Amino acid sequence: MGGELGSLVAAKLEAEPWVGALVGIDVDPPRRRLHKAEFHLLQPSQRERIVDVVTKFNPHVVINLSVWEPDARTGLAHARQFTADATTAIIGAAAECPALESMVVRSGIEVYGREHQAPTRPDETAPLHPTSEYGRMLADIERQARDVGRRVGIAVGKLRLAPVLGKHVPSPLGRLLRQPLVPYSMLADAPFAVIEDGDAARAFVAAAERRLDEPVNVVAPGAITTLQAIMRGKRVPLPLVGPEWWVAARLSHVLGAPIPDHVVELMHRGRLADGSKAQHALGFSPRLTTPEVIDHLYAWESVVRIGSINEAVA
Amino acid sequence: MAQLIEFPIKAATRAGNALTEPLRSIWPIHSVDDYGRDPHLIGALAPFARLRWDVTVGGDHHLPARTGALLVCNSRRFSLSSVYAALALSEVTGRPVRFVGRPDIAPVGPFMRRLGGLLANPNEVLGALRHHELVVISAEGTSHPRNAGAVPHELVGSAVVAGVPVFPVATMSSTVGRAARVEVGPQVRPRRKRRGPLAEVELAEQVQHHLQRMLDGFGGVQTGVAPIDWLAEG
Repeated sequence: MGGELGSLVAAKLEAEPWVGALVGIDVDPPRRRLHKAEFHLLQPSQRERIVDVVTKFNPHVVINLSVWEPDARTGLAHARQFTADATTAIIGAAAECPALESMVVRSGIEVYGREHQAPTRPDETAPLHPTSEYGRMLADIERQARDVGRRVGIAVGKLRLAPVLGKHVPSPLGRLLRQPLVPYSMLADAPFAVIEDGDAARAFVAAAERRLDEPVNVVAPGAITTLQAIMRGKRVPLPLVGPEWWVAARLSHVLGAPIPDHVVELMHRGRLADGSKAQHALGFSPRLTTPEVIDHLYAWESVVRIGSINEAVA
Repeated sequence: MAQLIEFPIKAATRAGNALTEPLRSIWPIHSVDDYGRDPHLIGALAPFARLRWDVTVGGDHHLPARTGALLVCNSRRFSLSSVYAALALSEVTGRPVRFVGRPDIAPVGPFMRRLGGLLANPNEVLGALRHHELVVISAEGTSHPRNAGAVPHELVGSAVVAGVPVFPVATMSSTVGRAARVEVGPQVRPRRKRRGPLAEVELAEQVQHHLQRMLDGFGGVQTGVAPIDWLAEG
């Protein structure tokens, strides 16, 4: 509930008539004004406290958004640790709640992997062969949620999100694309799809309301290649062929925009998915297409300056 | 009070814009479709494709206007028949037509994906057909231009599962000349209703027979040079 996506989902849930009480857990405080929700500031490692909070509340629906994308808010090692701790604590605690009917977990289209001969645009029936560290983290979340769902007999919805971009969403892809000089794979320049954070939040609310019990891809329509995105953003493209990617990635890291392996994979092999199931499974269709989300990415101010504080009011 | 140190992004962006502006005027802002096909690139390459193939298309009225369909064409080895058939049919129907059989290795694979190429994977074909796409697959390559090779029943199975019609597409091109022909035949309907995998095996065989009949109707090899055509018939 403290991350941008979590805060958005909480704000949208508060507006839903079917939602009675709402409790959220995160390592950061909420980024939006929440009226109904109760918030607990807890670290992923505080499993006892998390279990205590969740079991006392005894929810009907649990939404697990606690996924740390590598190099979004933290490096790979911490991301892996935090995600594993939070997943164990939240999913484990949910299993102890007698009133629980449904659980919705965040996953990503990285779970399909991009090995050779992998489908260009996999749907939900495609086998999971993650080929990046982030993909393996997400596949592990899905596996744990599925096991718990079977064990305690609850519906488990898995929302496989395309890379999420939004105004305040920490994303290594978004950060990289907004650099003045952006590297891209000259030989491949593969297409990818994304999803806007507001659309992703709407998908979670719909999944919780409908007690979703299957995996669903959440992908904005259309696709774009890295070079096309760079041209739309009026950035300078830096064509790379192979070995110099290592140098570019290190340099980009130093300049504040690390490029994790799943983003390199996206640029080389593409990242598309069939999002048509969301329409009938969730009654949801994204408002923004992939090129529109990219256009919004470049429309955001780099620095938002707050006007001088009025002392009379302060 | 903390002080905000700002990287000179605006200056860097201005410099970048000045450098890339000529490129942008040649290559306008656009995007690819859901499968990575790039209509702008296809439009830009069309004159070059016409240098190689002067394609005459017939029977396109058989194709559905909106729904998906599997099109099966014959293939002489190294003739790229599925590529020129897909490009020609796309131009005639005004719909994107995808071809199956792109490699999955850079730079050829990504380039062919931009032209509408799909992997020769039944799941990939099934996904496209369920999305109401027109998809061209090739029968096995043959050395003789008027022989239809075996039709891959695994890919025809995708059409059976998706419940879309299957059309034979006879293609003929010359190794030396530009003349090429693409003829779409009427829908091939299975003779018997099958519940299991025999449906696709039998349908694939039927399509091969239809293709062979259409190729027989084409007449001899058309190189544009009569003596060569006559010799090739022997």
